[in-house]
Amino acid sequence: MAKITNKIFDLRKNLGLTQESLAEKVGVTRQTIISLEQNRYNPSLALAHDISQVLNQKKIEDVFFFS
Amino acid sequence: MIGQPQWFNRRKYGGWGLYPKTKEGWYYVLGFIALMAISQSIPGISQETKLYVLMGLALLLIADTMHIMANLKLDEREKIHEAIAERNALWAMIFILAAGVAYQIASGIVANDILAIDPVIIIALIGALIVKAGTNFYLDKKD
Repeated sequence: MAKITNKIFDLRKNLGLTQESLAEKVGVTRQTIISLEQNRYNPSLALAHDISQVLNQKKIEDVFFFS
Repeated sequence: MIGQPQWFNRRKYGGWGLYPKTKEGWYYVLGFIALMAISQSIPGISQETKLYVLMGLALLLIADTMHIMANLKLDEREKIHEAIAERNALWAMIFILAAGVAYQIASGIVANDILAIDPVIIIALIGALIVKAGTNFYLDKKD
């Protein structure tokens, strides 16, 4: 299975968003954002899309990386 | 129903059910306790009537709790965690129940009493089997 990493932490910091506000915008808990930032949880395609949108990225691949 | 899902969190480490998350949740719990206590202390009502009222309130609380639990908002990660935890709990329960049935059958054979098996265990296992089959049928149709 492909390992998925992401740069949510950096993009979120650039936008000045807190984990709580990002979580609220994409409809998950703050704990889920923490797990994502630590690359411990692989999101669904829908959640990855929503996060990319909130972080002003055009493509999911701009936030998430498959290796 | 009465309670709102946003007032509660699901229990993760202390069994099944809910615990209050907001002050409204605590008011709800205290309100039910107060109703039960008041219903039992009204003078001039028979003990039997009080028992029926108490049972009615308990049933209402159980139904409302089930409604709240079914409508608790969980994100995708929480849903996966809940599903895995509940599956593991169910496997443990089925293993123990099956071991119990095996023990009761063995004991019954030794004592020449084949009806020594507790019917509640059998009904619980058959009930779980029906729910599992129904859920799989629904999920296969759904996606």
